[in-house]
Amino acid sequence: MTVYWRRLGSGLVAATLVAGTAAAQRPDPRLERLDSITRPVVAALVDSARAAALPTEPLVQRALEGATKRATADRIVAAVRGLALDLGHARHALGPTASPPELTAAAAALRAGAPAATLTELRRVRRASLIVPLAVLTDLVASGVPVDSAAAAVLSLAANARDTDLVEFRRAVERDIALGAPPASATAAAVANAAVQVNAGARQQRPGRP
Amino acid sequence: MGIHSVGTSDVDVVRRVLGGDTAAYATLVARYRDRLARYAVHMLGNREDAEEALQDAFVRAYRSLERCDDPARFGAWLYGILVNRCRTTGARAARRGRVFVRDEAALNGVAHASVAEQTEGEDVVCWALARLTPEYREAFLLKHVEDLEYEEMARVTGAGVSALKMRVKRAREQLQVILREAERV
Amino acid sequence: MFEPDEELIARVVQQLRRPVTVDSGLDARVMAQVGRFPAHRVGGTARAAWRWLTRPRMVRLSPLGGLAIAAAFAIVALARPDRYSRTAPAGEREFGFVVVAPRAATVSLVGDFNDWDAARTPMQRAGKQASVWTAVLPLTPGRYRYAFLVDGVSWLADPAAPAARDDEFGTPSSVVTVGGS
Repeated sequence: MTVYWRRLGSGLVAATLVAGTAAAQRPDPRLERLDSITRPVVAALVDSARAAALPTEPLVQRALEGATKRATADRIVAAVRGLALDLGHARHALGPTASPPELTAAAAALRAGAPAATLTELRRVRRASLIVPLAVLTDLVASGVPVDSAAAAVLSLAANARDTDLVEFRRAVERDIALGAPPASATAAAVANAAVQVNAGARQQRPGRP
Repeated sequence: MGIHSVGTSDVDVVRRVLGGDTAAYATLVARYRDRLARYAVHMLGNREDAEEALQDAFVRAYRSLERCDDPARFGAWLYGILVNRCRTTGARAARRGRVFVRDEAALNGVAHASVAEQTEGEDVVCWALARLTPEYREAFLLKHVEDLEYEEMARVTGAGVSALKMRVKRAREQLQVILREAERV
Repeated sequence: MFEPDEELIARVVQQLRRPVTVDSGLDARVMAQVGRFPAHRVGGTARAAWRWLTRPRMVRLSPLGGLAIAAAFAIVALARPDRYSRTAPAGEREFGFVVVAPRAATVSLVGDFNDWDAARTPMQRAGKQASVWTAVLPLTPGRYRYAFLVDGVSWLADPAAPAARDDEFGTPSSVVTVGGS
């Protein structure tokens, strides 16, 4: 696989060569929507990803997005190649048991700047699916939270928080940022609050008195 | 940075609305709706009044948008409008003899531990909040639930900082007394 | 037995800080009321508006120019499971997407869940003159980029949903995340 990545990084022609050695596959008919310049290159990237046992659906969707938005061939190819690389890095960080949706979410997190070590640690501390924690991390960064703060926050909650807790946490941070709080402070405050909720949920069977 | 490339920061949206793009205002409504609803629901004690106050606040904010001095702080400015609306709505509701507690059924046995157990203490807390004087409730919510700084609270309520600190203190004391009473039942 | 003061108050506060959600019909009601007033006009005597205009700032036009699209409130069903998602077979959950677009003739929901095919998921108006458009899709767990396509030409991200940070095709997109294994 390392060979594949090096080749992928060094050019489209190399990618095509690698694809030539993979088992021949009928190209995905949806790629017909791409123009004649873009289609073979994207098909080759998809084949390479398949050969590396990476999910191909996200790559096809990214190409179709570009087609629908009438992007140039260059942009489509760059987007698909970038995503393929991210998926590979994601698998390296999460390990071979990661599901395709986890890999997609992890790829987005890496693209947002999350360190690979954070992903590996997430895998270690959380038994449940990583889709939502990774998505929350990525969405926080998109809202302006520094990636280190976002990563630390999600890691601290990931072991015990349910998916719904994590989503509420993200919404709390976004609300506070919208009201003018500095993103890092909003994150820290929401972590403290979420930690209380998560722990309270865990020991919740008391008579209902405050 | 990529974050503002969509052009939907508050400043951008306010600018668009002032430029005639009325429809853009809905972005701000969606953005602030839930957070402000939390304050309104706790301040007024029932959803219907809270939604009325919230709707009123949004409409007033739209109409007086030019008077928002700093569009980057649109949220805080909107907050001040909502606090005022809640005062008016609360007064109106009181005159109508409106039940303050969220769940009418709970009113009859509101100090009931069993009711509290069913809802994990939620109604007891609301009932206790209802028994605070409105100024104390307002200050308590703004400080402890909405996390405003005292300077911000002063701007939003029109009261002085030391008066507000006193109200928060009294609110805490009253709540403790009220809740301990409830425990004794 | 009395608990210490701080803990009592802290538990009250913790409960009160829980998020409150409001029916999104409120947005439509607000906008209906707002629409009855004349639109704001720049260049009036309002000091604040003038200050903003003259402030040096990069102008980013929304892809819609002056077109409709006020706000979208596409919902992440995880946060409102009781309203927008019903469990369906095979690990799918139905998601509701909602957008306010009073002057649009057509609105399409387009994204990773439907091959970015603008013909696949046309949105429906809530009523004959309604400004609210909706669509429901079953989604399996995963993370999906999407956007609304208005009148076949204008791309709208969802201001109430997380932004897709990598908008490498030059138009904004949003993200919806479905949890589960």
